[in-house]
Amino acid sequence: MNRREFLQCAALLTAGSGVVPDTWALTLEQQTYLGARGSYLDRVTLTLFSGEQRAMVAAMSELTIPRTDTPGAIDAGVPQFIEAMVSAWFNDEERANFMKGLAELDRRANGYLRQDADQQLALLEALEDEASDAEWFRMGNTMRIWDSNAPFICQFKELTILGFMLSETGARQFLTPNPMGAFDGSVSLQPEQRTYSTQTPMRSVSPPISAAEDL
Amino acid sequence: MPENNATEFDAIVVGSGISGGWAAKELTERGLRVLVLERGKNIEHGKDYIGEHANSWNLDYYGMPDRELIASDYPIQSDSYALMATNLQYWNNDRLNPYLQTEGKPFSWKRADVVGGRSLLWGRQTYRWSDADFKANARDGIQIPWPLDYKEIEPWYSYVEEFAGISGQEEGLEHLPDSKFLPPMEYYELEKTIKKRVEKKLDNVKITMGRCAVLTREHKGRAPCHYCGPCHNGCSTGSYFSSQSSTLPAARATGNLTLLPNQLVSKLVHNDAGDKIVAVNTIDTVSKEQRSFSAKLIFLCASTVASTQILLNSASSSHPNGLANASGALGKYVMDHGMIGHMGMFVDHPDMYFKGNRPNGLYIPRFRNIGRQDEDADFIRGYGYQAHCLRPDWQTSFNQRGFGAKLKESLGKPGSFWIWAMGGFFECLPYESNQIRLHPQKTDRFGVPLVVTEFDWGDNERKIAADTATQAEKILRAAGSLYHILSKPEQMSVGGAGIHEMGTARMGDDPGKSVLNKYNQAHEVSNLFVTDGSFMTSASCVNPSLTYMAFTARAVDYAVKQLNEGQI
Repeated sequence: MNRREFLQCAALLTAGSGVVPDTWALTLEQQTYLGARGSYLDRVTLTLFSGEQRAMVAAMSELTIPRTDTPGAIDAGVPQFIEAMVSAWFNDEERANFMKGLAELDRRANGYLRQDADQQLALLEALEDEASDAEWFRMGNTMRIWDSNAPFICQFKELTILGFMLSETGARQFLTPNPMGAFDGSVSLQPEQRTYSTQTPMRSVSPPISAAEDL
Repeated sequence: MPENNATEFDAIVVGSGISGGWAAKELTERGLRVLVLERGKNIEHGKDYIGEHANSWNLDYYGMPDRELIASDYPIQSDSYALMATNLQYWNNDRLNPYLQTEGKPFSWKRADVVGGRSLLWGRQTYRWSDADFKANARDGIQIPWPLDYKEIEPWYSYVEEFAGISGQEEGLEHLPDSKFLPPMEYYELEKTIKKRVEKKLDNVKITMGRCAVLTREHKGRAPCHYCGPCHNGCSTGSYFSSQSSTLPAARATGNLTLLPNQLVSKLVHNDAGDKIVAVNTIDTVSKEQRSFSAKLIFLCASTVASTQILLNSASSSHPNGLANASGALGKYVMDHGMIGHMGMFVDHPDMYFKGNRPNGLYIPRFRNIGRQDEDADFIRGYGYQAHCLRPDWQTSFNQRGFGAKLKESLGKPGSFWIWAMGGFFECLPYESNQIRLHPQKTDRFGVPLVVTEFDWGDNERKIAADTATQAEKILRAAGSLYHILSKPEQMSVGGAGIHEMGTARMGDDPGKSVLNKYNQAHEVSNLFVTDGSFMTSASCVNPSLTYMAFTARAVDYAVKQLNEGQI
């Protein structure tokens, strides 16, 4: 982790990381507003991927975060989130890199969807091995909005994890809601306890304030 | 010339942030009919806090910041920790409302653009100044002395604290006087351990719970904090002090308040003698309609930079260098608090967790140059640390290798260590070369001359910044940190980023060297009071908002008495 990332961590802490209680009562107006607004995925129209690409991204995301005793990526709408982000949030270069990566993976697999799950997973692991020197893996390279130089496999993993942890399903059925109403700093961590869900991703929008320095 | 549709009020307050809200409350409660002019758009307390408790999955891009929008419209505001997808609507649009920085001398001007101003977005840390702070300039022979001492302002601190509601722990420190406190917030287990270790090993270092304007029990009809976390989305239970939750409702309750949003004040117009404001000229930021309002008293609370802009833009033949600026001090001596971060990793208490999000940290009060110059200090004045505790989670470790159930489970677990981050906040000296000016030609979309900023830290600040690292290392070692990261002085914040900009219309006894007298009244213009950060003659190292509140309340008390006695 470099100093800037550490510092940004600290800056964000000043404000707390914002966890949403399941049962927190919103004011009537807020309920109306948010209710009318609905889920992000219900508001977007997806037109970027072909049917085959959709199936491929769905298979890849489920291999990354599978359904276990808790819901997995497909249950949580991760494939739709990925398509929405690649089409509307990525810049042109990032989108081109993602689409190229997806096409190359399919070509290399000689039809990704024709492979069985073990082979599909091995292909993802191979991509990750080949990207081993990417900055994306550097410890602490997380307190930024986005790593525009991330290789395709890293773009894909990050979107998958965000799409899962920030989804209603991931936040409520995998992560734990933070009980609100009081602060208690001396709570025993239970062996199976998961971290609290978060309201907005803890990412600084800050530009670099100093040269990065590795830990 | 604006149309002559002037309306008579007893007092006009420019700005509705922390200072403006207090001015409005105090003036209306004394029976004056008050007009508050706010540049920003109107929002209603509670109802318009649209990001409060919003779920990530309801937000566009699940709350990931819209990079294009940030780059085009919020390039200055976006380096604040408090700017989020859920509260963009409170912030100044840098594209629509720009200013100019001097190359190589950056100054980051953080502005709100709503009724309530930055009181919605502030860090809520509240510390009294000490007598030593008010005597610092005189003692060190720096610039001009303060025209008053701690004793004079002390009752006003108590007065504003009693209304605002400040939680904290009494410590009995002379150099950081206690406020009238509500109970302090609770500690994380790690913080208890750190406090015990540090106070045992380092005699001069005290650790206390952050003092903040967040309620720990019901206070004046406002609910205690429910620990949801991000206060700066707005708090419909009014658990933190803001103009929206506290002072404006009190002012409204008197029936004496008129508040007009979208009113940019372009100029103050004075009488022939040049010693009284007779009109406040405004431009409607939506319709561009120009209007003019008048009142017996004018309270300028637009924030340091904006108030300075208004005064400079009100220059006339009798005030050629800007209104109330015979001294030439107006716009000079800009200060901010420098910020610099250090942190340590702790493996204590891996089996402990927490419930709720505490919107507050620990505070390490100034311990350098107390009462006398420390022998090993190559700087004057000092600093305090604000310290925060973090248990890392998937958000700081998602870039790990692997796929499948193992990755999923790993991402779901809290990290194996804690981070304790110490933010040094240090005093900045007043330098004449640090300035706010108006551009001679360039204007904004309303025809108002653009602000030009010029700011740089001095040697003293760089030396203090270096010392924050030296002392932080001692503290982190004593605290039991296994690994620490210390910032170098050149990594301190840029000017303005502390959002404690102040000092451009300083107060003093000598009208030849200051803009305001000790009651925040302009030496040259009897019905003009400036009570935002502009009045500050030095900066101390503690967060300034509480001091602005106290001086504003005191200035109103004085102004109304003067008005009633026919002195204004």
